[in-house]
Amino acid sequence: MSKLFQDTSLVPRLIACMDVAYGRVVKGTNFKQLKDMGDPIELGLEYQHQGVDELVFLDIKASVDKQESALELVNKVAKTLSIPFTVGGGLKQLSDVDKFFNAGADKVTLNTAAVENPELINQIANKHGSQSLIVAVDVNLESNGELVLYTHGGSKRVKTKYNEWMTEVINRGAGEIMINAMHKDGTGSGFDLELLSEREYSVPIIASGGAKQPNDFLEAINAGADAVLAAGIFHRGEYSISQVKNYLIQNQIQMRTI
Amino acid sequence: MKVGIIDLNSGNLLSMISATQNTGYETVVLTKPSENVDVLVMPGQGRFGFVASQLNKNNWRNFILDWVSQGNKFIGVCVGMQLLFEKSDEDNTAQGLGLLTGTIKKLQHVKTPMVGWAKLHSDLDFYKDQYVYFVNSYGIPQSESCIASVNYGNDFCAIVQKDNVLGFQFHPEKSGDYGLNLLKKALEK
Repeated sequence: MSKLFQDTSLVPRLIACMDVAYGRVVKGTNFKQLKDMGDPIELGLEYQHQGVDELVFLDIKASVDKQESALELVNKVAKTLSIPFTVGGGLKQLSDVDKFFNAGADKVTLNTAAVENPELINQIANKHGSQSLIVAVDVNLESNGELVLYTHGGSKRVKTKYNEWMTEVINRGAGEIMINAMHKDGTGSGFDLELLSEREYSVPIIASGGAKQPNDFLEAINAGADAVLAAGIFHRGEYSISQVKNYLIQNQIQMRTI
Repeated sequence: MKVGIIDLNSGNLLSMISATQNTGYETVVLTKPSENVDVLVMPGQGRFGFVASQLNKNNWRNFILDWVSQGNKFIGVCVGMQLLFEKSDEDNTAQGLGLLTGTIKKLQHVKTPMVGWAKLHSDLDFYKDQYVYFVNSYGIPQSESCIASVNYGNDFCAIVQKDNVLGFQFHPEKSGDYGLNLLKKALEK
């Protein structure tokens, strides 16, 4: 278990992530095979009523000219939902980030932009506070056993070393880190427990990628994750938020109940 | 029933406005004092000193003190709750409203801010064992007005109430359906 939960009333969080394209929740292994999973607001409300602790909205088709529609969605989410939510996708500079906070986002998440312009992490932390920033780290376990960082939705290899990057992200002021194990994504073989347990971090770690069944969430939390994130397993209706939470509670993990 | 949300230019008010509207109450945002509301809500984000200095603008400080002494309902949220007290270690020259006695202290945990959901400890059934959402680095460790508390390195007050004055250290507007119920109950009568 993460040290964050010692001597506090805080509990591990269950997060549902929605990939959004053209205003719809989608799921797909590549952009050409996107499957429509529903309306982001309707799905978000349903998850809220089921007891999800946080939501993440990622605009996977984001580009500067598409930002207007993303901002509209953020504004609508802020007005409709009453739980914290994070937005990401296509954020490049502080002025982009400011717009999303003005529209009502509680946190933003960076991936490619953080790697390409690490100073942006400091800028956001200084202006909006560390608690408002999640840095997402896409990491892949290559066939030679090396952990390699990727950006651009997993399509571009980066030279920076994974472990050094994790340290740098924290030092620059990220409030949380989302570890997305690419080699686990879509495999249904569970989160990467080794990545979660090999180091003790001073910021909350969100485990992402690979959840297929409730036991995967349990193992991730026991390995040290402060929060667990999943997408398809909920969108496809394989398990509900409350089923996963109930399983965790039955296995001695304290979770928020409603 | 009309809710007035005080705009002290300290953070985004959208969630709070939407929350009070979603509980069914007419809501107006006030950049200047107005008597034309039934209850005043004071949200606040950022440093204690900054929000305290904002109270000195537009005669807010005197207006709020009069408002409360006339028996009207006043609700402080997050730093807005901290401002109900006298002082804070975050900015020790800044003056709170002094409606409640005590000094705000830094939370005794290695990692601040505290961010996330925590279960309320309370003797009152409506609050007891309910989960609410926190984002704060400071808090009031104890107060005679404390009616619910949580732990983060040390115990601190999550909800304070003294007659017509109410304070939430957490964010009811971000605490799901329970948070909305709590807000609705707080705004009532």
